[in-house]
Amino acid sequence: MRQEPIDESVSVRADFQGGAVTPIAFRRRGREHRVVRVNARWVDRVPRHPHYYFSVTDESGDVYQLQLQAGDLVWWLDSVALEG
Amino acid sequence: MARASDTGGTPDAGTGGTGQPAVLHVDIDAFFASIEQQRDPRLRGRPVIVGAGVIASCSYEARRFGLKAGMTLSEARRLCPRAVIIEGHAQVYRCYAEEVFARCREVAPAVETYLDEAYCDLTGTERLHGDLLEAARRLKRSILEATGLTVTCGLGPNRMLAKLVGKTVKPDGLARVTAAGADAFVRDLPVEKLAGVGHAHAKTLRSMNVRTAGDMRVLPVETLVRLFGAPGRLLYERCRGRDTAAVNEREIPVSISRETSFHRDTADRAEIEGMLEYLAGRACRTSRELGVRPRTVGVRLRYADGEGDERERTLPQPSDADPVVLALALDLLARLFTRRVALHNVGLVLSGFTRAGAEQGALFDEREAGRRAALCRAFDGVRSAYGHGVLVSGRALHLKGRLEEDEHGFVLRTPSLTK
Repeated sequence: MRQEPIDESVSVRADFQGGAVTPIAFRRRGREHRVVRVNARWVDRVPRHPHYYFSVTDESGDVYQLQLQAGDLVWWLDSVALEG
Repeated sequence: MARASDTGGTPDAGTGGTGQPAVLHVDIDAFFASIEQQRDPRLRGRPVIVGAGVIASCSYEARRFGLKAGMTLSEARRLCPRAVIIEGHAQVYRCYAEEVFARCREVAPAVETYLDEAYCDLTGTERLHGDLLEAARRLKRSILEATGLTVTCGLGPNRMLAKLVGKTVKPDGLARVTAAGADAFVRDLPVEKLAGVGHAHAKTLRSMNVRTAGDMRVLPVETLVRLFGAPGRLLYERCRGRDTAAVNEREIPVSISRETSFHRDTADRAEIEGMLEYLAGRACRTSRELGVRPRTVGVRLRYADGEGDERERTLPQPSDADPVVLALALDLLARLFTRRVALHNVGLVLSGFTRAGAEQGALFDEREAGRRAALCRAFDGVRSAYGHGVLVSGRALHLKGRLEEDEHGFVLRTPSLTK
């Protein structure tokens, strides 16, 4: 299992209900990836503004890491986890 | 499946009943590996190893094959060829640990934290929490909801007993030993289970036919001191279930270390010194953030053939300034790196801390020290705002282009997962 870095800014549809943010879908290279499961979420509070991280599985079963930087409200697609 | 046990005595005796000391030990189960299994559901139910060179953490599925922390990866692969090996994500683990410890601080006035465990002082909190075993159960639930991680909790009248009783119910367990039950609980434990008894001490004790804590009690304190030095006094108390160490928010760390292996074994002095400068910068910055200054600087290295060496030396004055620490570290490196063999790993350790400002300065050095401190503060300010990697100094420039960089600085091959 290895992480393939992507490091691209992406558009994300997200749910902000209940005081928590949950990504629903993201768009990369013109294709929308629907998030079928948020596997894990964690927060890095060391930077001046927290960074919110999400491990998500899309409808094809691939596992991606998304990041929301609270300072500028920009979403990043950090990486994809590949088997092998 | 959570498990619970209650060892000896009445439920409140010695664990939170009217002023009795009560310590809760919280241990995150298979910490790094559990996080990796959470982040990627395809890993769940599979043997997972986190580490590079040696196992830093492995899942319970991997442990069934005899794998354990500290084992070399080659041995692990032999025992469990289908294990999934992951180098690890130190930054992610830190975030999770902080979340767990934040939950602990919600229930305990004093929390002493380590990498994947915490001691919570619950003494005197029974009016707030009611039954402390129930409070521990609530804490486990809260940590699980916040992080998805299971923890094992041990509740006891002191730190040692809390940790020991927790170990009997891992993973996802909850156990209590009371003051009344402490004697019986400790008596039959193998001596190796006591803190401070490593392989060498255990071997010495076994040669004397001392195998359990109960056996150890026949040895007078003088004998234990003769055998093991000053720690013999602690062992005399511990084998009786006594531990007087308080739960301390560790404001001053014992040591700060930064180390890494190279992407490729190297004998290139420019690269090695560059890496050492980078590690020194990281360690000094942490030191400044904590408001402490080290008096002792150590360098450790491991050669490609597995041989290793380390050496430390004391600074004339405690200092958290990168150039001061680096000068000594480079001198130590020059004395250590004498073989014509490539290096696999290099590390730097700061220790002997004093509170910044509490030490006496040398009269004529103060102006220079003040300028250095101001420069370091300016560096720290820039790095806090824009990431550590935006400023690279001196020899560390040799790493530019050789290593990838992110907002945290250079991406090291195997940063110590514990840092």
